[in-house]
This record gives sequence, structure tokens and C-alpha cells, in this order.
Amino acid sequence: MMAVSCLTRALRSMTLSQPALLSSQAITQTGLATQGPKMVVQCRGFLTTASLEQNRTFWKQREKYTIKPMGMKKTGGRDHTGRIRTHGIGGGHKQKYRWIDFQRLRYEPNNEAKPFEEKVVEVRYDPCRSADIALLAGGSRKRWIIATENMQAGDIIKTSGVIGRMAVSANEGDAYPLGALPVGTLVNNLEVQPGKGSEYIRAAGTSGILLRKVNGTAIIQLPSKQQVQVLETCIVTVGRVSNIDHNKRIIGKAGRNRWLGIRPSSGLWQRKGGWAGRKIKPLPPMKVYVNLPSISAK
Amino acid sequence: MLLEKTRCLKAAAQLSSQTVLLKELSRLSSHGGARRHFGISRPLAAKVPPPRKPRERVDIPGLEMVTYADRMHFVPGLTKPVGPRWERDYKDPRYYESPPAHEMPLFKETPCYVFNQRTSALEGVRQALWLTKTKLIPHLPPQLLSLTENPANQIPDQDERVQNAIKHARFWDTTQERPGKEKYSNTLLLNLLHLCATLQSSHPAIGRRIFSEKYSLAATWKRGEDVFQIRGQNGLLHNCMDPLPEVSGKQEVADTADHVLEALYPVSPTIDLQKVHVYKDEPNCTGFRGDYPYPHAHTLYFLEGADARCKLRPEQFRAKMLMFTFGNALVRAHKAYGTQPRHVLDRPITVQAVGTNGRIFQFMVLQLNTTDLSGDDGIKNQVWLEEDVELYDFAKVRPLIKKKQVKV
Repeated sequence: MMAVSCLTRALRSMTLSQPALLSSQAITQTGLATQGPKMVVQCRGFLTTASLEQNRTFWKQREKYTIKPMGMKKTGGRDHTGRIRTHGIGGGHKQKYRWIDFQRLRYEPNNEAKPFEEKVVEVRYDPCRSADIALLAGGSRKRWIIATENMQAGDIIKTSGVIGRMAVSANEGDAYPLGALPVGTLVNNLEVQPGKGSEYIRAAGTSGILLRKVNGTAIIQLPSKQQVQVLETCIVTVGRVSNIDHNKRIIGKAGRNRWLGIRPSSGLWQRKGGWAGRKIKPLPPMKVYVNLPSISAK
Repeated sequence: MLLEKTRCLKAAAQLSSQTVLLKELSRLSSHGGARRHFGISRPLAAKVPPPRKPRERVDIPGLEMVTYADRMHFVPGLTKPVGPRWERDYKDPRYYESPPAHEMPLFKETPCYVFNQRTSALEGVRQALWLTKTKLIPHLPPQLLSLTENPANQIPDQDERVQNAIKHARFWDTTQERPGKEKYSNTLLLNLLHLCATLQSSHPAIGRRIFSEKYSLAATWKRGEDVFQIRGQNGLLHNCMDPLPEVSGKQEVADTADHVLEALYPVSPTIDLQKVHVYKDEPNCTGFRGDYPYPHAHTLYFLEGADARCKLRPEQFRAKMLMFTFGNALVRAHKAYGTQPRHVLDRPITVQAVGTNGRIFQFMVLQLNTTDLSGDDGIKNQVWLEEDVELYDFAKVRPLIKKKQVKV
């Protein structure tokens, strides 16, 4: 009641020429307590949208794809409120982000939709991930992708979206839909929804195994031994991801961890609860990313 | 008394509401809700909030928006009236907005691929050879080599004078310790050109040549279905009153018809070229006016460090040399024989080029035999390329140590 009168007094004191954004700052300066966001909606000029974007890529302003490395802003484990959400992140060498094209089956704007080939121009280290990246050139465009194990400069890599009747004998580094590959191939850069871009099996040295193909879907075992069922039109690349000795490297000293941006963990001894210790439990059930038609016809 | 008590109660109520509010707001913000903090004593966000983008206005065609324009005051629930777009009735160059590409008068549907002086071709010389329909011959033609070996063409005290030129460019031309690459490559080139010009007494033809810099070249040609253009200010040009004699005879020119151009699959030859839809149709321009007394191009000189923004690798640098030499030759052919593509030129146009980074030189002689570049077959142009000729191994300043003391 009193708060309402104070708020209305403040609003009345503001002239119409002031832009709406300054209103919240003006109120903080006058030092009033208000009831809450519900009150504010009725007044004109208060913004009611909240920022919901992920914290890691808010520095990315560009919409057009480019191969030029761009400056990255580090978050230090802080989220949009400014508090630490994840401990142990911060510092480390400055890194430039190379925009990786995770959607392997991306046709050039002027070409028709058929299988195409690209040439590997160079394979290089990427500071933002454990795997190496490769610069592909095909048609009139160049793009970065995650390199597979034996990729070298000068290789020709094929990308195809066609599922034939016979399984294709795939070379390493080529990208095919799951339905076109023989059962038992090692795959990486898995898409769970066709056309979305690869989200799984991208780390150094990892590979998934194509276990079975069941009418229109395929079942793949991820590196964590979890099994996943996806549509057979999802594109995967064949082979293991590059930099396979990544897990065998020795850090050597605390300083090297700091260069990588890993801060030391808290030294406080904390009593471990039920989450700690080795657990032996059966594999979680297979995750199905396919909307199978429900059997309800009667 | 009662009034005081009520005032205390009210204050207490206000305080408690403030603490309650604090908890509410902190819960809200930790949930990722709106960052609203009105007058809380400690700040809830650590950073300045980023500028918020205004709400997107959606235009649904056919749907009439009800505005409060008639009522002349704001009414909640009605949209803001949008007036007609105001345009200045006079022309002011400070506030000029160029129209979008498809409204420009020179807009064309077919794109044009432009090679400018900052282009770094991915495939280097191979791409340039395909674009200019040229056959590559590895070393310089034997006539030129015999000319260099002829003692009549050599300067007296040649080695010593060249070494002096190098020392001047690399050591003496600066007040700092060492001159930068752009500076020393430029001085070295000019010194060597000066040395060549001292032969004027015995070779009067040198007097009929002149240097020119910063001229804008523009050449157009069609290759397949695509239009290509070369544009830019490339470097130093040596112009001449008489054209260069052709290097290879008619028979060799006819033999080039059997040569097959190297395919660049899977990379397209238009990679790394700037694609434009707004371009002039036939902008063939040598960079000079029609009545210039030195119409023929003799040699082009390229410096690697000329443009600080683009650093070219040796392969890309040679490709740039080849493209600009070809551009110069093509423009002069168009002027002499017309813009229609001709299968064989009666007099092939020869242009030379020299490129350097201060130490390593690349020599090139291009002979333009044909302007019919649309198909892949037929007579090709020829280029003789000598790569990576080192003038000297290294130029370092070593301290002179005499009697165990360092002398400056």
C-alpha cells in the first residue's frame, strides 16, 4: 500500500522523455522497496523479457559462417547472474574459436542435393576441444570439421545422404546415413535427429559401434556403453575421432592444468554421501530418439 | 504514543517485507528468472546487463493493425502507429544509405568472380592456370637465359655493385638496427632496377621505358558460364613504347592445343574469389588513358610485403603474379583486337613479371596466345615460371670482435 504509493510517486516524477530502460535504475537510485514483478506489468515501459540463453556462447554475434578464428570470451564458470555455477573453471591461455560445422551433410547453396566430395586442406590442433580439426574445401566453400584418426592433408572425403539397398564399404572420414553402413562399423559425430547436427561422440579417440538396424531405425552403442536408438537417416562419420592418445597424456604439473583453464578444487574435506564410491549396476535402458507409432489400434 | 507505535509497526512491517522480498528475489534470480532488483541494498548481478534487443515486430500481410493514431494518445493494447518513411528531399552525402544489392542499377543475376590484390587462392598456381587457360613451362625460355649470359649485357663490376645494393637495402637504409621487410624489399628492388638502368648507354631501348605505380587494372573474361574479373592496384609496372617480342613461335603455339588443363576436382576454381552481383559489364581498363605514350606492358614487379593486411604464401604469391600479368596482357589484347574472343592472336602479347620478398625472386614470362577462354580446349596461353631464386643466403650483422672486444 505504502509501497504502491511510493512507486506511483516515482513513476509520476519521471518525465516521458526518459527512455524505458532507465526506469529500473532510477528506482534503485531512489532506494525503494516494491512488491514484486507482478506490480510492474501494468505500468508502461518496463521490460518483461528475461535472458534465457546459454552462458557459453553469448559472445557469438555473427550469423554467417566463417573459417576465420574469432575471439572468445571466457565465463570462468559463472552464469548470467554472475555467480559460479560450475566450480574449477577459470583462467588459462586465451583461445580463439574456430567455427566447426557439425552438420556434415550441408549442401552448398547453389548445388543440387546429391553426394559430394571434399578435399582436406589441413589438419590442425584446436584449443577449444580435445580432438583435432580439419579444414575441408569443396565447391566454392571451406569449412572446419572434426578430424578422424588417419586424416591427412590432401585426402578426398565423401559425404552422402543416400541409403542404398546394399551397405556401402565406407572409408574412414566419409559421412553416410546410418542405414547405408554395415553393422559393426565404428562411427563418430552422431546425430540423434536428422539434420540437427552431430551432438554425440565428438571427443578425442572416441567411437561408437553400430549394433543393429531395425526397420527404419538403427541402434548404436555410445562410448559409455549406453545404447541409443535413432532414425537411420541420421548422418554419422566413419572411424575414430583423431588424437587417440589424448587420454594417455600426463599433465605433469599443476601449472599445466592451470594453462588449460582448470582451477584447483576446494581443499575442504567434505563427508561423502551416497553418491560416492564404485557402483555396479545394470546398464540403463536404451534411449529411444524415435517417435514410434503407438500400438493402440483396436 | 499510539502514533509512534503504529509508526514502529509500519517500519517493522516494511523491514520484514524487505527481507521477504530479498529472499523472493534471490530465489527468482537463481531460477534464471527476470533480473529485477529494485532498491535492494546489495547488487544481485555482478555484471552490467547486456543491451536488450527490442521485441520483434511481426508483419502479417493482410492483417490490419489497430493503432491509437485516431485517439491521439497512448491506449494500452493498441499498437504504435507507424508513419510513412521520411526521406530527405535534397541530397546530403553525409546521410546517404545505399540501396540493397538487388535494387542497384548494375545488378545482374549471374554472379561475377573477382580476383583482387588481396585474394589468396587456395590451390595457388594450379587454380590460376585453370582460370587463365595457360600451360606452365617450368624454367625460363632459353632465349632469355642466353641473353643473361651474354657479357655485353652485363654491368661492369656487377657482383660488387649488386652486393653493395643488398647491403644498402638490408643494413644502411635505416636509423634503427634493422629495416623492416617492406622497406628493404622495396629499396632492394629499386637499387637493382637502377643498376639495370645504368646500361642505358649501350642499350638505348631502356630509355624508351618508364615506371608507373598505383594504376588500377580491370580485365574481364568468360570461362565456361562464369564471368571472371581481375581488379586492383597491384604494384610497379614497367611500361614500354614498343611491345615485347614473342617468345615461342607459331608451331609451339599450335602444339599447346593438345595440352589438357589440370582439373581441380573436388575444389571448384571459383574458390576464394570474391563473388559479386553488382558489376559493370565490360570494364577493360589498363589504368592509363588512350594517348599514353608508353602503351605496352613490359614487366610487372610485385613485392610480397606491399600489403600489410594480407600475407601470401609463396604459392599464392605466384598465383597473384600470374593473374595480374594475365590481366595486363588481356586488357591490351582487348584494346588491340576488340573484346570479341579470338581463337588465335596474330601477334601474341608477351608480358614479364618479377616478384620478390626481399631475398627470394620469382621470374615469370607470360605469352597470351588466345582470348577465347570459354572452352577448355583449343590453343592455350603459355607461362614460363622460375621459382624461388635466392639472391643471397642471409644478411646478418655480426659484431666485429677484435682483440676480445666487440667493435660497433
